[in-house]
Amino acid sequence: MLRFYIICTSLLLLLAGCELPPKNQISAGLTTHKTNDSVGVANEEYVMVTTAVTMPMYVNHDQAAFKRWGEARKVKVSILGPADWDVPAQINTIEEVIGTKPTGLLINGTDPAIAQVINKAVAAGIPTVVYDSDIPGSNRHAFLGTDWYEIGKMQGEEIVKLTGGKGKIAYMGILGLVNMEQGFEGLLNVLKKYPEIEVVGKYDDKANVEEAARITSDILSAHPDIAGICGFDSNSGPGIALAVKEAGKAGKIKITTVDWEPEHLQLVKEGVIQMLAGQKRELFTWYGAQFLYDMVHRTNPLAQNDAEAGITSVPYNINTGLLKITSENVDQFINR
Amino acid sequence: MIHKILESRVYSLSILLVLAALITSVIFPSTFPTFENFSQILLNLSVDTIVAVGMMLLLISGAFDLSVGSVLAFTGCLTAYLMHFFGFPVPLALTIGLLGAFMIGWVNGYLIAYQNINPMIQTLAMMGIVRGCALMVSGSGIQNLPYWFNAIGQSKLLGIQMPIWYMLATVGCFTFLTSKTIFFRRYYYIGSNERAADLSGIQVKKMKMVAFIISAMLAGLSGILLSSRLGAALPTMGRGLELRVITAVILGGATLTGGYGKIPGAFLGALFMGLVSNIMVIARVSGYWQEIILGLILIATLWLDKYLQKKYSEIG
Repeated sequence: MLRFYIICTSLLLLLAGCELPPKNQISAGLTTHKTNDSVGVANEEYVMVTTAVTMPMYVNHDQAAFKRWGEARKVKVSILGPADWDVPAQINTIEEVIGTKPTGLLINGTDPAIAQVINKAVAAGIPTVVYDSDIPGSNRHAFLGTDWYEIGKMQGEEIVKLTGGKGKIAYMGILGLVNMEQGFEGLLNVLKKYPEIEVVGKYDDKANVEEAARITSDILSAHPDIAGICGFDSNSGPGIALAVKEAGKAGKIKITTVDWEPEHLQLVKEGVIQMLAGQKRELFTWYGAQFLYDMVHRTNPLAQNDAEAGITSVPYNINTGLLKITSENVDQFINR
Repeated sequence: MIHKILESRVYSLSILLVLAALITSVIFPSTFPTFENFSQILLNLSVDTIVAVGMMLLLISGAFDLSVGSVLAFTGCLTAYLMHFFGFPVPLALTIGLLGAFMIGWVNGYLIAYQNINPMIQTLAMMGIVRGCALMVSGSGIQNLPYWFNAIGQSKLLGIQMPIWYMLATVGCFTFLTSKTIFFRRYYYIGSNERAADLSGIQVKKMKMVAFIISAMLAGLSGILLSSRLGAALPTMGRGLELRVITAVILGGATLTGGYGKIPGAFLGALFMGLVSNIMVIARVSGYWQEIILGLILIATLWLDKYLQKKYSEIG
């Protein structure tokens, strides 16, 4: 009998110690500095957390601009995140960074699943800006990026123009990523308006040049009359272009893709790729960091306490727009 | 005492962990030695540890499973798919999800144990098949999961988030099983000398199949926990998990040839890797350097362990 009471009491104590997750998180007041100078406080630290931190596109655009911003403002900037595309690892890194109370957090919006950890950062009073893709359901203070649906739409409209609205089209990217699926949707919504266009396949190139080239070779074997191919990740374009060049069909098969790394620009110059849908990635992180800075320094105070007033004193949603790079303007980007 | 430390990876790794934690506490007194940070370290490694327990069992028996990361993703996505698109109640969706993991483990185990297919080839092939299935089921991922499903991974008990408790329960349960029960202790015999184990009457094939099923079920459980913690099921979950887990398990005392290793070693190996990652985040070590430093530390740790064991055999 005594054992029964001990077990019951233990279970009740355990239940008393049980805490269910909150249904909504409340934002805490932001940590602000009273200085309103254009130069930051030396102990301020702004942290960028991304995934695939070593990806050349991120290094050359996002991270380079973020570092330049840190030097200009004379504040410390740190870049953290897993080397590979690993969203749970990015979430773990953000969780660990929150515990170190950085001045501001700049987060790459890689997947809607990071909404909870963004809310945790906001609830901890850390100014938090999301860039690249927006995170619905998050309480982020601001977002800067491009609409991936528009990237798909731009590619769709261009490939229709290049092929005269008829022929076989294939497309590839990383399957399963939210922003890329939105891009695919944008492309397909344009193509479905043209009955003479036949979409012959959607392929996963795993963000790998060799894989993109292998898939393209297979497409060329299965469909020698393919009219155009669209790419959606940074490595799609170089891979598609490689296979098309090797098949001796450069210029005959129309290629549109994303990003504007030096190799992409060179392929446009050579006439292998006809159009690049580029993002203004430098603007994401430069202005994202500046938004954090302005929130911390209350550069434009709109209320006595922004959090209590339920507002942010920086733009809530910024679409930085797209770059359309073709043979006509490619030199401008090569020689920048 | 010194003999024990030199003899067992569990002891030497524990001492290394304590030393690393003490040094880091001195260097970063305001950010490292806090309850929140330690909870976060344990939470971040909980999924890896649960998978590592299954992998340790397999490595003790002389096999390994490369499909665990894909099984994790598939189970999480399948469970989420059933709840989100078909309105299945949480317990039923969980049961079907785990049943899916069971079936994958059974297929792996049957083909490897009874059809003599090489474990690396079989589980590598299964890794691709199951990842494809996860992509088919979830597309770009499934959000807005039921509150009570999210509560599995987001609730707290005594201030500590539930995945940590599940991890401790799994480690405790399998530590008991592998150290106190005849059935599980036979895995050491199988891993040391499979033919001798077979001749002595142990049902080697059946036991190997059971080990693959347990490994897949634990990966499935981790998939459910991770989806529940994130509040979303992503087809990209668990990418690269297999290598991370095998590294942790080998660091924890297992060998690729089988017959060695203890379940607490799997936990300590994962804890060591989690601790190193955490220290690098707190020290703001750039992402470029993290992989290099982690690799160098792993090599140094294993070399130190071999050196200590050599010294031990010289003393002994």
